Amino acid sequence: MLSKTYRMGEVDVRALDSVNFTLDRGELLVLLGASGSGKSTLLNILGGLDVPSAGRVFFGGRELTDADEDELTDYRRRSVGFVFQFYNLIPSLTARENVALVTDIADNPLDAEEALALVGLADRLDHFPAQLSGGEQQRVAIARAIAKRPPVLLCDEPTGALDSRTGILVLEVLERVNRELGSATALITHNAPIAEIADRVVTLADGRIQSERRPGRVVHARDLTW
Amino acid sequence: MWSLKGQIITIALVLAGGIACFISLRGTYLSLEDARSAYYDRYRFADVFARAERAPEELIEKIEALPSVEVVESRIVEEVTIPIEGLARPAYGRLLSLPSGRPPATNDLFLRSGRLPARGREDEAVVLEAFAEAHGLEPGARLPVVINGRLRDLRVVGIALSPEYVFAIRPGALADDPKRYAVLWMDRATLASAFRLEGAFNDLTLRLQSGASERPVCFALDKMLARYGGVGAVGRDGQISNRILVQELSQLRALAGMVPLIFLGVAAFLINLVLARLVRLERPEIATLKAVGYSNCEIASHYLGLVTVVVVPGILVGLAGGFLLGRNVLGLYAKSFRFPDLDFDLSPSLVVSAIAVTVLAAVGGALGAVRGAVKLPPAEAMRPPAPARYRRGIVERLGLSAFFGPSGMMVLREIVRRPGRTLLSSAGMAGAIALLILSRFGWDSITTYFEGTFRREQRQDLTVAFARPVDPRVVGQLARMPGVTMAEGLRAVPVRVRHEHRMRDSILMGLADEATLRRLITRGGGHEVEVPKEGVLLTKTLGEILHLEVGDRPLLEVREGARPTVRPVIAGFIDESIGLQVYGRADLVAALEGDTGAVSSVLLKVDRQKLDAVESELRRSPHVIDVSDVIADMERLFDMNASIMNVWTAISVVLSACVVFGVVYNNARINLAARSRDLASLRVLGFSRREISAILLSGLAFEVLLALPVGVVLGRYWAQSFMSTVDQETFRWQVFVAPRTYLLSVAVATLAALASALWVRRSLDHLDLISVLKSRE
Repeated sequence: MLSKTYRMGEVDVRALDSVNFTLDRGELLVLLGASGSGKSTLLNILGGLDVPSAGRVFFGGRELTDADEDELTDYRRRSVGFVFQFYNLIPSLTARENVALVTDIADNPLDAEEALALVGLADRLDHFPAQLSGGEQQRVAIARAIAKRPPVLLCDEPTGALDSRTGILVLEVLERVNRELGSATALITHNAPIAEIADRVVTLADGRIQSERRPGRVVHARDLTW
Repeated sequence: MWSLKGQIITIALVLAGGIACFISLRGTYLSLEDARSAYYDRYRFADVFARAERAPEELIEKIEALPSVEVVESRIVEEVTIPIEGLARPAYGRLLSLPSGRPPATNDLFLRSGRLPARGREDEAVVLEAFAEAHGLEPGARLPVVINGRLRDLRVVGIALSPEYVFAIRPGALADDPKRYAVLWMDRATLASAFRLEGAFNDLTLRLQSGASERPVCFALDKMLARYGGVGAVGRDGQISNRILVQELSQLRALAGMVPLIFLGVAAFLINLVLARLVRLERPEIATLKAVGYSNCEIASHYLGLVTVVVVPGILVGLAGGFLLGRNVLGLYAKSFRFPDLDFDLSPSLVVSAIAVTVLAAVGGALGAVRGAVKLPPAEAMRPPAPARYRRGIVERLGLSAFFGPSGMMVLREIVRRPGRTLLSSAGMAGAIALLILSRFGWDSITTYFEGTFRREQRQDLTVAFARPVDPRVVGQLARMPGVTMAEGLRAVPVRVRHEHRMRDSILMGLADEATLRRLITRGGGHEVEVPKEGVLLTKTLGEILHLEVGDRPLLEVREGARPTVRPVIAGFIDESIGLQVYGRADLVAALEGDTGAVSSVLLKVDRQKLDAVESELRRSPHVIDVSDVIADMERLFDMNASIMNVWTAISVVLSACVVFGVVYNNARINLAARSRDLASLRVLGFSRREISAILLSGLAFEVLLALPVGVVLGRYWAQSFMSTVDQETFRWQVFVAPRTYLLSVAVATLAALASALWVRRSLDHLDLISVLKSRE
């Protein structure tokens, strides 16, 4: 049961309150919730960026809550792919180099070109982020996240900065890499229609799991509208 | 502002360093220059100096009648020895006459204590302050002096300073030695009787009318004194104390102009860097202010006002530091250069000019950044700045990007995107490295010359100088003294070398055949040059001044005795470090002088165990006016300068380290601020702290690595340029920078860079990895 409390001035803010949660191998999970519901806090803890105030987190058989700074860095380096809302590409590196940043430090990575081809950017290898559209930038970010073949792919509002058409393109890519690479993918969003593509949907509110459901019929990203 | 405290402090320190250098060096220069001009003026320092053997006093009237001559003072000047009890080696001195019953018309004395000798008192003398201090002499003390071969027990009645001996150095000595060199003044009548110069003089000083040229007067004097054994009149530039003082002042002025520029230039650059960053960060605020009606002028003055946060503490610390440093530097000068009043003068005009130069540098640095804020249209300022543009460059075209890897390319592209910043940072650090080299090269060059070339040129242990040339048999007599292993005669004759319309005064040195103790060594390659059998060898610089070539026959006029002339053929030139000399075989000089090879000094190789015994034996001879121990003189020169050098080195190390620390720290902070999002993203992606530190600091390491060779080359270049400000006719040290100086400069820069980089690196441990997930670029 995970809990996380932040101290903000004189007040304690409970960002997560007794959350019990698993992310299964190969599944596409959507964490749904409004702003302040605790979904980002949960994602940060899953990604080894934050530690819970109470409770324990395991990755496979390894306990992350016991891990020190170096072990957490190693965990992120080998096991976790991150996709950020604002892409967080390195502006001075081309698409290929942004992906190569990760492949250079990973154990058994995809080629940077291969990863970019997987997200449909085989013809934009040598473009700098500033020369790419928002959707293209997010796809580069996805290529960067999946190039290390991570067991866990964490996506924080990956369509949050994109229009719906581009957002759907990005979701299609996530859907495909989840299928082809088998990474357990946790996608957080406040955008309810996106939950339709999930194998499982966990809804958070006020730091607690409000509901957990498996949609009867998985909708393909290309069929979504919002 | 608080978040910029580190940057403000480091920039203020660099500014303070610049101001401190400006105040201390310029202040010392001005204090010395003012003291010199006031002293010369008030105590009527002469414009022209002339020596003769014996000239009748009646000549004075004719000299006074020369055009431009304002006043003439004739006197008697002789060399004496001072056998002070307990002093292992004898002291030598110059004895000058004072007019009976009136102050001298030129070169008046400043009495520190006591009084002038009374008229007719044969045992009263005034002593130069430096010598009196070295021996603890006060008015009333007794002093044994050998005057014209007769030992006299003089009574010190006054301690004085003279504008003629601001820097008192024994002729031919390597360094001033107050313990062993005295200047004494006695009543004219006493000296006239002691040297049998009643109604005559052997030394002359003149003051000229304001603005008059020395040259025609010297020329006329030479003609008038020729038949009285005149050895050539000289102006102030030929007067040794003044020449050394002027030399020192011109070096100080050059330093005062050069050194602060490094600091102020670096400070201006850093101010620009930090302010430009602040303007970028505050775009929205600038937009809002403009939108609500603030004028460009108001915004500009706001940002210029921020500069005061750096400038005011910088000025305050710099002024205080400059004053303290200046007082100490002037104190070092005051040990050798004696003035009646020498205080470090922190004059209002000096302070105002320091402030003006600093403000100018700071505002100059700020202007570029402020212009950026002013030019920003409000609508554009509301939006975040356009992302930086990167391009593929030469590295990619050469296919080297795989070699550098993505992390290396991040570093390279940042360098390529801001080449100006990289170059200026490196230039600033190179300046700091060069400053250290500049502060030490003189010492390196001099020690190398003395430890190398000088000892190969002058292999004797003792140099015995005679009052007048002596029979060559004296060489044999000295060689037979117990303890002396070798003796060699040397004849030095003052000559004037003329070629076409050019001329220079020089010394003709007659070297013994197969001379082994005195040799001629070139300053460049250090190889030995033989004295030619026929003709003469000239110092290369003398040849250049007179436009002489091998085979030419310049006119050599001897400036003593019967003043014979000769036109020897020039057999070659020698590139040497000190003075302007003409070298010939001893027989050439003997033929010229018409004697049998008289010698003016003898060089002795002595068993060092018996050195003191040999010296005291020599001291007994009334003909000997000086015995100098070459090694002891050299050691004294080193000892005296080593302590000064250590002070300079310590100051330069601190100042250079300040500059490098300031440059690296500010660049690192700005890089960190500009790239913290990228670095935090990399941490989230699994990069370790070490890896992101390497990315952040590699660019700075590149700047430092670029600065090291540039600084070393620049330091050498500055040393060379600085050397060219030194009077080339006196010293031409081969510029030499010792490996330890290079090592020190590079080590100081590297350590200062490392320290500041590590300081900034600590911030990487506190990168907010979580906020980066949600932050827009």
